[in-house]
Amino acid sequence: MALLGRAALIVALGLLAYAALAGALAAFRGRRRLAESARNALVAALGATAVASLVLLGALAAKDFTFTYVAEHTSRELPLGYTLAAFWSGQEGSLLLWLLILLGLGVSAVFLNGRLTRDVLPWVVPILAGVATFFAVLLVFVATPFATQAAPLDGLGLNPSLQNPYMLAHPPLLYLGYVGLTVPFAFAMAALASRRTDERWIVATRRWTLAAWAFLGIAILVGAKWAYEEVGWGGWYAWDPVENAALMPWLVATAFLHSVMVQEKKDMLRVWNAILVAGAFVLSLFGTFLTRSGILSSIHSFTQSSIGPWFLGFITLVIAASTALILWRLPLLRSRTRLESLVSREAAFLYNNLFLVAFALTILWGVLYPIISEALRGVTVTVGAPYYEFFAIAFGLPIVLLMGLGPLIAWRRASLRALGTSVLWPAAAALVTGAVLLSLGAGSSPAGLIGYTFAAFVLAAIVHEFARGTRARRATGSATWPRAFTSLVGRNRRRYGGYVVHAAIVLLLIGAIGIGGFSSSRETRLEPGESVTVAGYTLTLLGSDQRRAANSQELRARLAVERDGERLGTISPGKNRYFAEEQTSNEVAIRSDPLRGEDLFVIADQFRGQTVFLQVIVNPLVNLIWLAGLVFLAGSLVTLWPDAREQQRLARRFAERDSALARA
Amino acid sequence: MIESLALALGAALAVACVLLAARPFLREPGSASDRLREPGPLERERVRVEEERDRALGALKELEFDHRTGKVSDADYRDAAGPLRRQAADALSRLDGMMRPTMSMPPEEPRVPEPWPPPDEGDLPDPAPTPAPGEPTPGPNDPGSPQHPPMPQTGGPRTL
Repeated sequence: MALLGRAALIVALGLLAYAALAGALAAFRGRRRLAESARNALVAALGATAVASLVLLGALAAKDFTFTYVAEHTSRELPLGYTLAAFWSGQEGSLLLWLLILLGLGVSAVFLNGRLTRDVLPWVVPILAGVATFFAVLLVFVATPFATQAAPLDGLGLNPSLQNPYMLAHPPLLYLGYVGLTVPFAFAMAALASRRTDERWIVATRRWTLAAWAFLGIAILVGAKWAYEEVGWGGWYAWDPVENAALMPWLVATAFLHSVMVQEKKDMLRVWNAILVAGAFVLSLFGTFLTRSGILSSIHSFTQSSIGPWFLGFITLVIAASTALILWRLPLLRSRTRLESLVSREAAFLYNNLFLVAFALTILWGVLYPIISEALRGVTVTVGAPYYEFFAIAFGLPIVLLMGLGPLIAWRRASLRALGTSVLWPAAAALVTGAVLLSLGAGSSPAGLIGYTFAAFVLAAIVHEFARGTRARRATGSATWPRAFTSLVGRNRRRYGGYVVHAAIVLLLIGAIGIGGFSSSRETRLEPGESVTVAGYTLTLLGSDQRRAANSQELRARLAVERDGERLGTISPGKNRYFAEEQTSNEVAIRSDPLRGEDLFVIADQFRGQTVFLQVIVNPLVNLIWLAGLVFLAGSLVTLWPDAREQQRLARRFAERDSALARA
Repeated sequence: MIESLALALGAALAVACVLLAARPFLREPGSASDRLREPGPLERERVRVEEERDRALGALKELEFDHRTGKVSDADYRDAAGPLRRQAADALSRLDGMMRPTMSMPPEEPRVPEPWPPPDEGDLPDPAPTPAPGEPTPGPNDPGSPQHPPMPQTGGPRTL
């Protein structure tokens, strides 16, 4: 069936090339049937790509080792879940998933926004098809998942570090984020190409941008959870180049989601928004390039491959084309209004944009510098965590402060007196929190103390906003407090969902400061019966065990855990020896305390006879990072939930336009 | 055998895809109206004015709410509400002007907008009378005033 997969990809490539060229010609010349034909070709390409994907999935499920891809990424003993997840574990499968998601999202966006952006769609189709053509070319000519061979007796298996439940979800979520950013990019560029630079492309793509941003955010956190459990160094984010590659487009998309509100409400920042949309998309391509090219040494670089130059060429082409288009349409993008005051919501959004983009650019420089250094000077350098942490604090703290201040400031202009009244309670709560933490000894990490004080300010500001908003709704007729609250959120989902997301970021900040500034660690060697105590936890080695699992041999140290004289059970860190892969992986043991939010994290570095070399870490508040993921998801869902009032407004506007057209 | 089946399926897929792509030409082989709809200057202008209208009405709504919650002081509210109402009224007036030549309805005076979107029943109390020029606008916390600032006078449902 590899032949069918190959044929389907060739058909998809032909259709996409046609959709790109015919679509561009139709849009340029104003040919209706050709534009419809290009759109249909995009839909057909989705069908063909789905067929290719099914062929690969079928081969994986059947463990058909005549497929080189299947033989290289699975083995007979690999459990079914990981076998199917091998679809996105290798480079070729990942590229196929990219193409499938891109076409799925692209076709959905084209059909769901057909009415709103009727004038723009003829350009959207060729742009989406152009991006998809690039991936189809890679899949047909450079990295096909349908190469065949004489079937070996067994496959090479899956990289042990990928055999983790979080890895089942992380790559698809990440790709939904990366690929989802193609939709706003395509609509923005189409709006520029068609000279329809009004608000419609923003309205049409708002939810797509939000969804892509939410997927990317969740993917980063799921990836962090995977790294915490699987890579096992005791941290959750290592400023690894590939982790950074996902963070950069997320930061830029975050900036866009804020600045686009300024465009909607004030008709400002049009050029800036076009740059941000293009920047987020380019960075998502760059992220895929970093992950898949093998150009950087990274825990994520599972392959060394030849697709790097292709990606570099395509990224260059996208940057050149979008820059040219923005410059060409610059006269259409000039704002008609100006910033009225430096103390206003839009000014706060502008400041937050500058910090977010500056942070993204410093990360980009940290990622690029080793590549440039090696290319130009032949010197291998590494940009380590201290560089990133310095800028994370330098830019992160003002961003957090603005997260608290922004919601308290009115649009257009705010008097200092009104601002002072709004800020009073949150500031008081923050100062009290800071003073209490200082008295408890949190001054050992000044940045941590400032971070916690700012976090308290943001949380108090959010609570304040919800409280006075609910009170205002109650005063205007809501029968009960709960009804006033739901009415408040229901009428402005973006604003209040955004506040929930802010709360999630604060939780993440609290957790990150906890693990970064206040964790305790100790390395030791234990014989059976010996104990070690770290941050109130006492661990006693009971012995070591071995057992055979489905596809590995497991070696575990058994440790009894006590805290303040109370027995908490046993934990078993150790190592797995995978048969097919012929690799050994560290399997850390984690004991979470949901009430304290802390983790006891134990790594068994070495086993020598009955002696075990251990690293014991206590990570305070780390569980708030994972809780932040759930709160982030909840906030994102609130913002994404369809707003009936907005639908009515748009429907009214369409009705006005359609009736005017009918009369014309 | 499997290869032949794969080839046949691949060929069928290719044919189906080509038919789908060619459908617009097969359905309308000699269509006289093969032009994409190109909005004229008037329609583009109307889109622009509609956005101005919605932006001004949305800003008014937001201003009302921020005033209610105490985020905007009475003085700031007075300073900001007037220009926004004028912007909205101006946009409505221009929209009326754009539509009039194609409508058989008698011309009507532009209406001062109501807060947008229109409040639900029970959403806002009855509008207070608009103060005379120079008369201070009662704030939300002024004794004896209603729990909201004065609303713009409405002229009935908007008919655009």
